[in-house]
Amino acid sequence: MKTLPSQKAWQPACVLLVSMAVALMALAAGVLRAFDPASAWFFPPCPFRALTGFLCPGCGTLRGLHELLRGHVAAALRLNPLMVLSLPFIGCSSASSAVEALTGRRLLRVFVPPACIWMLLAMIVLFWILRNTPLFTTA
Amino acid sequence: MYCRSCGAPNDDNAWKCIKCGAVLQGAAPAVSTTPPITIPNYLWQAIACTVLCCWPLGIPAIVYAAQVNTKVGQGDIEGARNSSQNAKMWCWIAFGSGLVVGVLYLAFVVISAMLQQKRGS
Repeated sequence: MKTLPSQKAWQPACVLLVSMAVALMALAAGVLRAFDPASAWFFPPCPFRALTGFLCPGCGTLRGLHELLRGHVAAALRLNPLMVLSLPFIGCSSASSAVEALTGRRLLRVFVPPACIWMLLAMIVLFWILRNTPLFTTA
Repeated sequence: MYCRSCGAPNDDNAWKCIKCGAVLQGAAPAVSTTPPITIPNYLWQAIACTVLCCWPLGIPAIVYAAQVNTKVGQGDIEGARNSSQNAKMWCWIAFGSGLVVGVLYLAFVVISAMLQQKRGS
């Protein structure tokens, strides 16, 4: 029987890469859980905010992840709602990519309708503008 | 389900079409032997760069990711491949620059902390 490409053996390079990524993420999560970016001295500030003084769509992500890792969902939502809402998507997709890299088999076969992506883009830009107005007071 | 050769509606468990007799299950249709064209749009990487890298350079990557799926929907495979390349490039630009800024900042604070300690002792 001919072997399908989806049944190929795991590539050592991919295994190394994926395990390194997982280890790095675990390490980062450990550090981020232990230290609050709002007060610890070694977390980098947002370059956009440092240069312009305005918040960017990603501002508050580190502090938000710190709160999430400690189980404070409401605090994380206040710091960066966009990050909290996009985490499930990023998590599922990255896990799917990792599985695909390892086994050659695609878990998620989702074609996101282009209109959804354009809407998401509009939402991100709108969030970016609005969070620099008095409507948003935190982060 | 519907018969692949004549389109007649059939029971989901039927193995042969009630109208034309074509085999409904088991034998894969000729189309599926060639893998469907999948063009990566790097959407999750783009969103991750925008939201997690603390850096708005991920925005162009999302624009290109949207273009990929728009063009695939229109049947413009060549254009979709181009947009896919651009989406990938912007993801790397956003991720790389975020990483460089982060590492430089870390090096800067560590060195200045060490210098301060030296001066204090």
